[in-house]
Amino acid sequence: MDLNPPAGENYGHPEICFFHVVFKAAALAFYMLSALFFDSFVIIFVVTVLLSALDFWVVKNVSGRILVGLRWWNEINEEGESVWKFECLDQESLARMNKKDSWLFWWTLYLTAVVWIFFGIFSLIRFQADYILVVGVCLILSIANIVGFTKCRKDAKKQLQAFATQNLTSRLSSTIQSAFTVV
Amino acid sequence: MARNQTDNDTIPLHSTSQSDIDEIENLINSHSSTVLPPHTSLASIPVSSTPPPPSSSIPSNLPQPTNPKPTPVPPVPSTFPQLPPRSSESGGSIPVSGFGSPPNTLTEPIWDTVKRDLSRIVSNLKLVVFPNPNREDPGKALRDWDLWGPFFFIVFLGLILSWSASVKKSEVFAVAFALLAAGAVILTLNVLLLSGHIIFFQSLSLLGYCLFPLNMGALICMLKDNVIVKMVVVTVALAWSSWAAYPFMSTAVDPRRKALALYPVLLMYVSVGFLIMAIN
Repeated sequence: MDLNPPAGENYGHPEICFFHVVFKAAALAFYMLSALFFDSFVIIFVVTVLLSALDFWVVKNVSGRILVGLRWWNEINEEGESVWKFECLDQESLARMNKKDSWLFWWTLYLTAVVWIFFGIFSLIRFQADYILVVGVCLILSIANIVGFTKCRKDAKKQLQAFATQNLTSRLSSTIQSAFTVV
Repeated sequence: MARNQTDNDTIPLHSTSQSDIDEIENLINSHSSTVLPPHTSLASIPVSSTPPPPSSSIPSNLPQPTNPKPTPVPPVPSTFPQLPPRSSESGGSIPVSGFGSPPNTLTEPIWDTVKRDLSRIVSNLKLVVFPNPNREDPGKALRDWDLWGPFFFIVFLGLILSWSASVKKSEVFAVAFALLAAGAVILTLNVLLLSGHIIFFQSLSLLGYCLFPLNMGALICMLKDNVIVKMVVVTVALAWSSWAAYPFMSTAVDPRRKALALYPVLLMYVSVGFLIMAIN
């Protein structure tokens, strides 16, 4: 992955990109700066966790779908077992996805988790159990999204390979068959 | 070929969709009615940029194994129009079937997702907390669990407790939140370790929703400061919460171990009840 956005195109869905980033940034900023303005931990906790939860929902349901064409969820089937479902757009639409959008998506996803880990280490050093709780909750939310989407992407790549090999083998077998019929 | 500009529009068929089309055709021929797959678009009709949303009464997470809903479109002859974008899906242990994947959750308008999630929260609340014929089969009831309801209830309860407290508000909130969250996780682990048949998130979701009566009780207690009223309200709320949680927990384990699974739940709700009553 490169550090710079792919050149030569604009963002495909600028509003969605904005929302994808704004909740994450707001949660981090609020966590960092609120100690300067607010005395009460409750407000810090509630607002930060709320922003994080909203961000989780937005990434899972909106920006994941639109920016990278992936989606994951959990279902309980008829036998009462829990199944994780991963879904992606078919290969043509995936190829048509805006590169800058997906670059932004993946980078911000990983970056926020790293920043939260950073904050967590700070709170650990200072022995502030309250703040560790906040960081813990936000970290769980970010990591859940990261794991879900990474699995989704791996699944999509697997399907692409399976499709490609299937295509290849079917074409190979048909050419062999035609060769034999000719002979 | 009807080519469209944005990703939201119909896309030429993925080749694995051919089997889906065959299945659909078989269904149509066998049922011989005007049942159509959702959102067929005839090649001659210009496709609008947002496909019509799936009817929000179907939670689109649940697989639709049989006929899709009939749409108000004139019946189509057997030459098949383009289907909306198929999503290739791979599940955990369920074999992938043609109708197993909800076709349009990847391209539905955002407002639909919001509405779907909100209606899921409301229906889960009604199923769990209010008297309901579905309670006879508790396993089915919380099948599409969600954690939003529990999240809001836990935070709300923490906020109320924090507001009612005259000193150490932050500690009260943090303790209430941590207690409820950790309590839900531990209770779930308890059932799982008793070789019960329950799914982790389903149980978390259930225990969170069952906090709703205690929330109402705490609200009333905060507004009215009379001790007798508080005791009555908390007792009623406690009984209601326990009654709501009972069917799910008891059917999850062996009948001989019912008490082992239920006692910790009751204990937790009683402690929360005491917290509500005693806070001043």
